[in-house]
Amino acid sequence: MKKFLWAVTLSALALTIGGCGEESSGASSGDGGNFPEKSIEIIVPAAAGGGTDATARALANEAEDVFGQSIGVLNKTGGSGSVGMSEGANAKADGYKVTMVFVELTMFKHLGLSPLTYDQFKPIGMINFDPAALTVAADAPYDTLEEFIAYAKDHPGEVSVGNSGTGSIWHIAAASLEKAADIKLNHVPHEGAAPAVTALVGGHIDAVTVSPAEVKTQLEAGNVKTLAVMADTRSDIIPDVPTFGEAGLEVNPTGTWRGLTVPKDTPDDVVAKLEEGFMKAAEDEDFAEFMKTNGLGIELKDSGEFEEYMKQNEEDFGEIIGDLGLN
Amino acid sequence: MDLLLEGLTGVFQLNVLLILLMGIIAGITIGSLPGLTATMGVALILPVTFGMEPVTGILLLIGVYFGAVYGGSITAILINTPGTPSSAATAIDGYAMSKKGLAHKALTVSTVSSAIGGILSVIVLIFIAPQLATFALKFSAPETFALAVFGISIISSIAGKSMVKGLIAGFIGLLIATIGIDPIGGFPRFTFDNVNLSSGINLIPVMIGLFAASEAFRAMGSIFSTRKLTIVVEKVKLKWIEFKILIGTILRSGAIGTFIGMIPGAGGDIAAFVAYNEAKRFSKNKDGFGKGEMKGVAAPEAANNGVTGGAMIPLLTLGIPGDAVTAVLLGALMVQGIQPGPMLFENNGPIVYTLFVGMLVANLMILIVGLFGIRLFTKILLVPTTVLTPIILVLCVVGAYSLGNNYFDVLVMLISGIAGYFLMRYGFPASPIILGIILGPLMESNFRRALVMSQGSFDIFITRPITVVLLILAVITLFSPLLTRKVKKPTTEGES
Repeated sequence: MKKFLWAVTLSALALTIGGCGEESSGASSGDGGNFPEKSIEIIVPAAAGGGTDATARALANEAEDVFGQSIGVLNKTGGSGSVGMSEGANAKADGYKVTMVFVELTMFKHLGLSPLTYDQFKPIGMINFDPAALTVAADAPYDTLEEFIAYAKDHPGEVSVGNSGTGSIWHIAAASLEKAADIKLNHVPHEGAAPAVTALVGGHIDAVTVSPAEVKTQLEAGNVKTLAVMADTRSDIIPDVPTFGEAGLEVNPTGTWRGLTVPKDTPDDVVAKLEEGFMKAAEDEDFAEFMKTNGLGIELKDSGEFEEYMKQNEEDFGEIIGDLGLN
Repeated sequence: MDLLLEGLTGVFQLNVLLILLMGIIAGITIGSLPGLTATMGVALILPVTFGMEPVTGILLLIGVYFGAVYGGSITAILINTPGTPSSAATAIDGYAMSKKGLAHKALTVSTVSSAIGGILSVIVLIFIAPQLATFALKFSAPETFALAVFGISIISSIAGKSMVKGLIAGFIGLLIATIGIDPIGGFPRFTFDNVNLSSGINLIPVMIGLFAASEAFRAMGSIFSTRKLTIVVEKVKLKWIEFKILIGTILRSGAIGTFIGMIPGAGGDIAAFVAYNEAKRFSKNKDGFGKGEMKGVAAPEAANNGVTGGAMIPLLTLGIPGDAVTAVLLGALMVQGIQPGPMLFENNGPIVYTLFVGMLVANLMILIVGLFGIRLFTKILLVPTTVLTPIILVLCVVGAYSLGNNYFDVLVMLISGIAGYFLMRYGFPASPIILGIILGPLMESNFRRALVMSQGSFDIFITRPITVVLLILAVITLFSPLLTRKVKKPTTEGES
């Protein structure tokens, strides 16, 4: 008679334990020689089902073969990612707890959300980058970035640009555009990128600055047109669209990125092993295929480049967030 | 029609049917466990589908989704623990029926209503999806704000015995909803420099605490009392004549669910409360609501399953995911090489119609699995309180933790449980708090977003027809129970 209850309880336990991965506390010294000797855990500071989660799980899948150890993914949500990242930064510095960080890490401090900064981590490498893509309604009276800017200059403060939330990376991207082109836009925050795109398709706002993947469906349906992407090179997802530079406006590449890190005090030889393994996994064809079908761009940076990149981001964002008056 | 027939042959294959059934059963299990939501279930099973055929893979996910939405009602009815927020409204009358010994009947009503609501929404999806999708796109910030105001006005009809206590509870919910980063300005409110508070208080741990943990605490108070409090599970079946009375409510609620489901940003939780409210409005026996009225179970269940088909409308016809579950489904479709949007029906016609037929079959499976399962589910009530209560508490903790693997959520759950215990003791209803937490952020952010869009002009709320209609409905809903009470007062003073 208690069968059902048992089934319920057991499946609850199975689901949680399965989600947690192994949490053993084996003593590991700084000797990277035999690393890894046990399973590795990747903390994903975002919910299951999103782009960060998808990237981490696909990468973990490939990296298991490279390391010869199982790799668990643990979703730890809260505080726009700061909860999971704080845990990752304060984890035991033995390399068995890896954190997937994202662009918000270089913004927390400026936005006053969390004192957490990138220098509390030692980078393993950057995996993915998706630029902001300036996208407008298909029937808008402008077809190029130049015309858009001219229109915005004639109508100061009237062109409404949707983003995925105040202080989000897409808000920062629109603000960078504003600054570089010396125009005044009306920023309309939404709860995520998808609602912003929906509002654009419904004709309630004039433009969005979100990633190519997030507008791809509507682009193919002919409901919207993308004028330019905020990157140094064209996006693989929408190769016909010029970069901001090509369209005649110099803007720092702005977009979302994801990378792997470990706590600051992790021994260098362990970091080197992790870097080698995860980079190899990220170069795998299956991983590339997965990222492509999900509309996620692959951009690899090694430990050193990644650190430099985060530092640059933090400086740039500090300035823009200050200009927006959000700090 | 040819395509529908083609769809039939696509679904009626043993392996497809078995996978769909597995999805439904997994979904019901996930849905009935507090803390595990439909979104989480679909996201966890998603990687399994990558290696499958498109139709099989998508139908597995649809099975999990539909099953989870239904599954939430089982625990809501039996142990006052809504498995998902969509079933919070079901707990009101469902648990009241259980306490009367009518658990069997309540579960039958919920199963039948869920299946009919789901089937109705799929039929709407098959035949008039493109027309409805264009309408759904008209919903922007001012419309969604008005819908949220309409939802808030429902507090007056779920207030229970005391209107004042109901309104106080609703405001507690709205106050909780103000915690976290301000949705438009980006400034932290009431966060006390705690990062866990910066994204606000999560609804689900509050719900688990208020409903399940508080009930467990209450049960502890009388756990060793000599007076036996065991609920007799009477095998009272649903009679045909009773079903005939319910069918109007079920169809209306299914339609409400379908409509709300297709609106981006609004989902099963809101639909269930709106349907509950409308069922009460149309009912002659308004006083029976909250005390174990069958329509109070039928309405939210038909509505939240109605949402499933409704949510598919903008997803399939426009490629727009209206909520978190459909966002995961969009990813799943794209991985399978199916691009939702206006071209979907031309490019992937056969697959789409196979999915439609699969959705109908999924709802029939819910009916069959649900009706067969009732005898099993009700066994839960035979477990002695001394055993059941600790198990419920463990499930509360596990459920709150598994949400984001964050102990803070467990803390929120426990505090809500203790607060809920005292609120219950002093006659404050829990549902308005939940409604406040669900709708507060929706109302605030859309109100302010609308003003950003109109550059500060309030005209935006009176120049858009849908907005005006919804706001008028809200005023009527808020004041009608007050008026009826006033009119009725001389006759039923002692009772209400």
